[in-house]
Amino acid sequence: MTTSEMLEKVLIDLGRVGEIEACAIATRDGLLMQANMSAKGDPETFVAMSATMLGAAETASSELGKGVPKRVIVEADDGKLICMGAGPKALVVAMTAPGVGLGLVLVELSKAAAKVEKLL
Amino acid sequence: MIIETGIPALDDHLHGGVPQGKSLVYYAYPGVECNVFGMQTVHRAVSEGGRGVYVTSSTDPRMIRDLFKEFGWDAAEYGDRFVIVDGFSGLVGADSPEQYVVSNPDDAASLTQAIKQVMEDAREPSVIVFESLSTIMDLCGESATLAAIEEWNRYAMLYDHVVVYNFTAWPYSEDTLEHVRGDIFNSVVSIGGITEKVIFGQYFGVRKIDWDEVTKKCILFKVLKPGGVRVYLPKILVTGPFDAGKSTFVHALSTRAVSVDRLGTTVALDHGHVDHRGFAADIFGTPGQERFDPIVKLLSGEAMGVFLIIDSTNTADFVRARHMLEITESTGLPVVIVANKQDLEGALTPEEIRRELDMAQDAPVMPVVATTREGVFEAFDVLVDRVMEAGSI
Repeated sequence: MTTSEMLEKVLIDLGRVGEIEACAIATRDGLLMQANMSAKGDPETFVAMSATMLGAAETASSELGKGVPKRVIVEADDGKLICMGAGPKALVVAMTAPGVGLGLVLVELSKAAAKVEKLL
Repeated sequence: MIIETGIPALDDHLHGGVPQGKSLVYYAYPGVECNVFGMQTVHRAVSEGGRGVYVTSSTDPRMIRDLFKEFGWDAAEYGDRFVIVDGFSGLVGADSPEQYVVSNPDDAASLTQAIKQVMEDAREPSVIVFESLSTIMDLCGESATLAAIEEWNRYAMLYDHVVVYNFTAWPYSEDTLEHVRGDIFNSVVSIGGITEKVIFGQYFGVRKIDWDEVTKKCILFKVLKPGGVRVYLPKILVTGPFDAGKSTFVHALSTRAVSVDRLGTTVALDHGHVDHRGFAADIFGTPGQERFDPIVKLLSGEAMGVFLIIDSTNTADFVRARHMLEITESTGLPVVIVANKQDLEGALTPEEIRRELDMAQDAPVMPVVATTREGVFEAFDVLVDRVMEAGSI
């Protein structure tokens, strides 16, 4: 299995978590590696903005001496967006429905991020 | 005469295209979609007024025209200059709507008969594309197919046809693959995926041509629907000082773009897609103000080329412009300097800007008015040429 197929598997497994509507893996600098988003918008733009968000959050938080944040969570009317670093090179981002409790999603996303970090 | 493949950048590497009477194989590694290459080649031939033949082996001929339509190519407009040889219906025992039908698609001789017929009937040299040589090999057996290919190619040479094959390198015998890559075709274009690097993508490259020198280069591509095969540049950076017009430039260039603007200035990133002259690119526009430098640094990794946008009337910011090239670690990357706001009074000429910026003599400085899109695509063409020269992967 190639690395890209393994990353694809991570995303498919993540997609099986009922609450997750779409997910993607990207480089820290915003290039798409894999997406599982079934026509939910434009994956390239989605990951570029996610990388910017995570990068900006990390800069803001570490500038203030609060260390590197574990994740960025965006709560909107129509859903939630969670962006998480996966090692120094990559990040994982997921989209959920609005009413979803974050517990399970965060656990699964952390697992996925740990896998991605080991794969790269 | 030379027949263009219609695949951007590939024709350059084939030194114009495929000469009449010659054969080409698109040799794809498993997992990479190659049928679009053959389709694009036959589409180019027919839309240029030539004659195209499409030999289908794994798709119902009634579906073929719909497949072309997905890429925005209307086969109905081709009229009788587009012919399908039906090597599918015979397999499932269906009636065929086509004029040329292979009665026993699992018999190479039957296929040869239909192909010779269509080659003889053609009143002019045509482009003959095999939808799937691998399917034919699966049906007829490897050695029978290899022998048949030699016969088809010889016949094509006789009638000055160009023959193009889509081939997926499934685990056939090493001997067979060696033949396909090696001696039975006049040219081989390999198509593969990059799976072990950080950027994942697909590439093509010329592996062999027997009518000129081979330039070994791998070209990243992306398949657009509609559109077909495009050379793909995953990251082109647009940077420059505050208020130089970076966002305007990104939007002027892109078919669709999004920005994160607050109070009229970019705070995070502009992101756009360009589809122009056979090239598809994703554009990353950075903020210009110094307080966003950490973000600029973060986003500029792995860029393939850089636009440095400059306000031609504002020499005070030229130092900052140079500094931004350093922040983005663009040294060594192909850079095009976009001399924006050329319509304003007091705008310096490109030559003056090159001098003021202290750039190398050959550094391209392009005059642009981003608000009216003037010069925007010319600048894009220049950067794309530079990126292609530098070699992509």
